[in-house]
Amino acid sequence: MEVSAEAKIEELFGARLATEVPEVVGRALAAEIRERIARAGYTRYALYDRGSYDVGAPPDEPALLAALAALATKETGRELHVVEARVLRLRAGDYLLAHHDVLRTGSPVEVTLELSPRGVPGAEVHYRRRGQVFFACGATPGAAAIVERGPSVSCNHTYVSQQHPDAEIVRLVALLTEPK
Amino acid sequence: MWQLPADEAVLTRAWRAALPFPHVVIEDFMAPAALPALLEILDEEGVEPYAGDLFAFDATAPEPKTAELRAVRAAFGAALAGPLSRITGKPVARADLRAYAYRVGHYLLPHTDHQDGLARVLAFAYYLPTPEPPRGGELELYRCTVGADGAYTATDSALVIEARANRLVVFDVSDVSLHQVREVRGGVRLSLAGWFYA
Repeated sequence: MEVSAEAKIEELFGARLATEVPEVVGRALAAEIRERIARAGYTRYALYDRGSYDVGAPPDEPALLAALAALATKETGRELHVVEARVLRLRAGDYLLAHHDVLRTGSPVEVTLELSPRGVPGAEVHYRRRGQVFFACGATPGAAAIVERGPSVSCNHTYVSQQHPDAEIVRLVALLTEPK
Repeated sequence: MWQLPADEAVLTRAWRAALPFPHVVIEDFMAPAALPALLEILDEEGVEPYAGDLFAFDATAPEPKTAELRAVRAAFGAALAGPLSRITGKPVARADLRAYAYRVGHYLLPHTDHQDGLARVLAFAYYLPTPEPPRGGELELYRCTVGADGAYTATDSALVIEARANRLVVFDVSDVSLHQVREVRGGVRLSLAGWFYA
């Protein structure tokens, strides 16, 4: 059967889940997780044409990752498990550009858990389709953004203004897929 | 209206010696008597906000709305194409430009300006006087270390050029001409900026 142009467009660019769930972790738990991650250490990423930020060691947080997988499964209706997770820390002057992002084939789900101690105005995560922002999140501590990605979706973490010299943005980013 | 130093040999030597990549900085570029008319043209043209993952600033439209700004663009290109071709050793024929207003919190993150197919040869920024000169908003040039596969293996800040009124900066466009406009922390940074093309 021949697939119509409209169906192809829907398949490529159509509505996929992009939502933010508030209060996934409380302040105290977020602080504990940040502390453990900091103890494991950060490495500076500074290829400035792509990004400027700290990247944490792979998070050894099995209970948290299992909880995020359960949340993503509930929100998407798909059976999901974590295949990749990383922690990013941004301070004033930091950013991750969209062309630094890895484009994903298939339809994996990305969960971004905001572990920051406090929100920083303008410090957001932007999901883009063909360059245009279709979903912005990241300003609310404790919230988790859940986004079904596709081959046309890229992501950037916006520039953190020097107007907030004490800014500390900590985000756990997990990629989830269905078991093969 | 536009005035380059008479001794092109000095600029040529400066261009060739400049690090981290070829550039020249020219002071007192515009005759003071010509500035009010230029500012009036820019005021008439107007700016709008632009934002992306790489930048946040106010600017005129990519194609000027008024005949006056189109004339400025043509005159700028005509006046500088010859001298800059000789100074840089890179033949250029025309210029494109927009006016930019960077206000507090505005920035342009590191990038090279180089894009296949666009034929940008030289980039420039000319800083205009403002009632409240900017704090921040400097042009920062980076030294790029390139691996065998052509990808960057390191990028390091190498030079910071203040956005001083009536200063023209011209720099090379290549795949290592990494530069940024630092975030403006106070005042307003007004400029004309764009590229020269072959």
